[in-house]
Amino acid sequence: MPIAPTNDVAFRPPDGGWGWMVVIGAHISIGFAYSTPKALSIFFKEIQADLEASYSDIAWISSIMLAAMYAGGPVSSVLVNRYGSRPIVILGGLMCGVSMVAASFGNSIIYLYLFIGVIAGCGLALNLNASLTIISKYFLAKRPLANGLAMAGSPVFLCFLAPLNQYLLDKFGWRGSLLILGALMLNCCVAGALMRPVGSCLSSPALQKSKEQSDNSNTKQSKQSCGSRAKKFLDLSFFKDRGFVIYLIGNILFIFGAYAPIVFLSAYAVSQGVDQYSAAYLLSIMGFVDMFVRPGTGLIANSKWIRPRVQYFFSFAMVFNGTCHLLCPLIKSYTFLVVYAVFFGVGFGMVFALIFECLMDLMGNERFPSAVGLVTIIECFPMLLGPPTAGFLVDKFDDYKYLFLMCGAVIVTGGLFLFVMNFYNYHMLEKQRRRQLNPKNPKDQDQAEMQNTLNHNFFAKESTVPGNETGSDPQGELASSE
Amino acid sequence: MMMQQRVKRVGAAQEGESYFPLAGGHRLIFIIVIMPDSWMHLCSLVLLLSCTHINAKTVGQTSSPAEPVGQLPADVRSVVLKGRSYTDHVEVSSPINLTLQCTWTGSGSKVDNVTGYWSKDGEDIDNSHTTLRPENQQFNLQRMFTIKDEESLGKYSCMFGNEAKIDFVLAVPQISDVRDKPIISYVGDSVVMVCKMDDAKPSPKTWLWFKVNHTEKEEIDATAEPQRYEIKMDGKVTKLLVHNLTHLDSGLFHCGAVYAISTAMSHVELKVITIYEPLKPFVAIVVEVLVLVAVILMFERSLAKKRKAAASGNHVGDTEHATNAPAATTTTTTPQAEANGLEETTSTRQRKM
Repeated sequence: MPIAPTNDVAFRPPDGGWGWMVVIGAHISIGFAYSTPKALSIFFKEIQADLEASYSDIAWISSIMLAAMYAGGPVSSVLVNRYGSRPIVILGGLMCGVSMVAASFGNSIIYLYLFIGVIAGCGLALNLNASLTIISKYFLAKRPLANGLAMAGSPVFLCFLAPLNQYLLDKFGWRGSLLILGALMLNCCVAGALMRPVGSCLSSPALQKSKEQSDNSNTKQSKQSCGSRAKKFLDLSFFKDRGFVIYLIGNILFIFGAYAPIVFLSAYAVSQGVDQYSAAYLLSIMGFVDMFVRPGTGLIANSKWIRPRVQYFFSFAMVFNGTCHLLCPLIKSYTFLVVYAVFFGVGFGMVFALIFECLMDLMGNERFPSAVGLVTIIECFPMLLGPPTAGFLVDKFDDYKYLFLMCGAVIVTGGLFLFVMNFYNYHMLEKQRRRQLNPKNPKDQDQAEMQNTLNHNFFAKESTVPGNETGSDPQGELASSE
Repeated sequence: MMMQQRVKRVGAAQEGESYFPLAGGHRLIFIIVIMPDSWMHLCSLVLLLSCTHINAKTVGQTSSPAEPVGQLPADVRSVVLKGRSYTDHVEVSSPINLTLQCTWTGSGSKVDNVTGYWSKDGEDIDNSHTTLRPENQQFNLQRMFTIKDEESLGKYSCMFGNEAKIDFVLAVPQISDVRDKPIISYVGDSVVMVCKMDDAKPSPKTWLWFKVNHTEKEEIDATAEPQRYEIKMDGKVTKLLVHNLTHLDSGLFHCGAVYAISTAMSHVELKVITIYEPLKPFVAIVVEVLVLVAVILMFERSLAKKRKAAASGNHVGDTEHATNAPAATTTTTTPQAEANGLEETTSTRQRKM
């Protein structure tokens, strides 16, 4: 097994400078990825009338797009590992743009499924994965903040795309709107252009020369690790990693309950006697709050108190989100619904700002691209099953409160599970670290020294934090050496 | 259809309006004089007889009208007014003998009598003036109207002197779901325009489509031009498909729900544009993307050139400082080094380790 720390020692994440331009690029890319499936629903009524299809047939377009975006994760990981982020984001942008333009000439619903659903969905999958990977390459000390800023792209773009789509629809009809939307998605190529490669193993010969001057064996190892990473399509060895499995289970529970309340919030408000426009306004409030909470959470997670315990912060955010949903059925008046929407926005934003930061924290730079691909393809299932299950509960009991109770309960369970299991995981890792600090063989000794190096470099700018040995990359390295 | 109407009357009356409670506990009066002249009427008569409450008590002090009732179905609409005025909307989809009953609880000041009369669309109806005396502190006024065609529809008002009035607005079921924004379509493309009658209202007999040409409504005959127009009808929904659109097709289209008594109209606006309209912003955005990508890549290339020049300068001038060379090479290979002092310090720190 390659010793991953070597690469980190050679390619230190810049943590600033051009990195902030990369964050802008990731912001745009992630923004399009998450907001396009939702913003497209504005066109559905028109498309439904023109193509004479039923509403459920049309709604499948969004579902197929989301499913393709999540399922395309592993393919995206392999490509990103091989070619780096920039070409992949540019390719993703081109795929999205061209498929939207092609879709604008469509005359059947199957054609739209293919072009908007599958091809654009795959383009978005490439974008998402590559953007997250490049953030992990550019940032380490400021990574939570960078993640928060990049993930804020989702609510920002939704806020901006929704009224724009409505305007385009009124001016150009759905065909012209899809054409122009395709052009807008080509801006992902601009985002890709911003993602200058850094510290990849396929760098210039000059880099290799410098490595030769330092340590020959290291070069060979780094070459080896670069090659071997790209081999596996679905690297199932991740399932042996305790931290990864814990994260995965917690995430599955969260995603299952996360989207249904959004889908049914306005319907619930209408059932409580609120008029349709005010009900739609609730979602805008949620999105608006989300926009500011994500970078804010990134900032908080970056602080020296939270950073080493970011997994606990993540589980707290999940429990907060779930509790909001559990309290929702008690709400009957519009004012309190607005308060609920605000708290929902806060909880949702906190979780999504940290969702990939925690995975980066667990996996480290090297394994993150493959890990995120695996996580997204597995998350596909709860994401597609969640809203229909909630809808089934609403139909069966004719009452929205069971939906909120179910979602809240599932999310709180996920949060508590993460909290307890992470406590256990940290405990085990601490035991292992102590074992390594009193090494019994030279290999362990080398590793222990390298971990100390990493700790020193990582916290060079900040004061020494007690218990920081269990934070960030060293955790990933310890886990991989099990 | 008669049965439908009767059920609708009961339902509507119970929902929103004041209801006329008869003495004796019966809920509704049906004055049914039907001479079945067709099998349809016979069926409806059978249905009616199976659930009819017939109360022979007359209401109030007004006498029954002397108009001939003929073969039309009959229905009653009652309103009890406690204030000064009230408006009731009545949906009439086929000819009917409608009895309108007004009850007024008085204005508080004790009056012995009041002149009650009827008016239609603001004009008093002749021979409808009667002097009313209060019965159980209420003034009652009723009259039967034959609603047989479009002219019979309108606003019927029962007036209690100058003190109170109840308006009954008789109209065909209206199409409430009207699209306010125009449908946009493209030259050469096809478009589908939809008109929908509410589920709660009765289905029209048929639908008609009209195109407005220079303020003139012209009926669209789908059979005359089958390649261009296609009309689909399915109960409460109608669709007009127009193929091979041209600019001339832009404008207002009217759909009419045809009922036995009249036609309810709604409209849809169509705007036909060429593909060049959305193409202009499309090209503008593509140009913007290309420009930005070019600028970013050129900026990067110029930075790389500067660094290469600096690096070759370093190599040439500096053979004694061997320890510095690796540091310089390391910093030059990572592109953002110039912009980021931190990067350099960390890499030098690594070297020291």
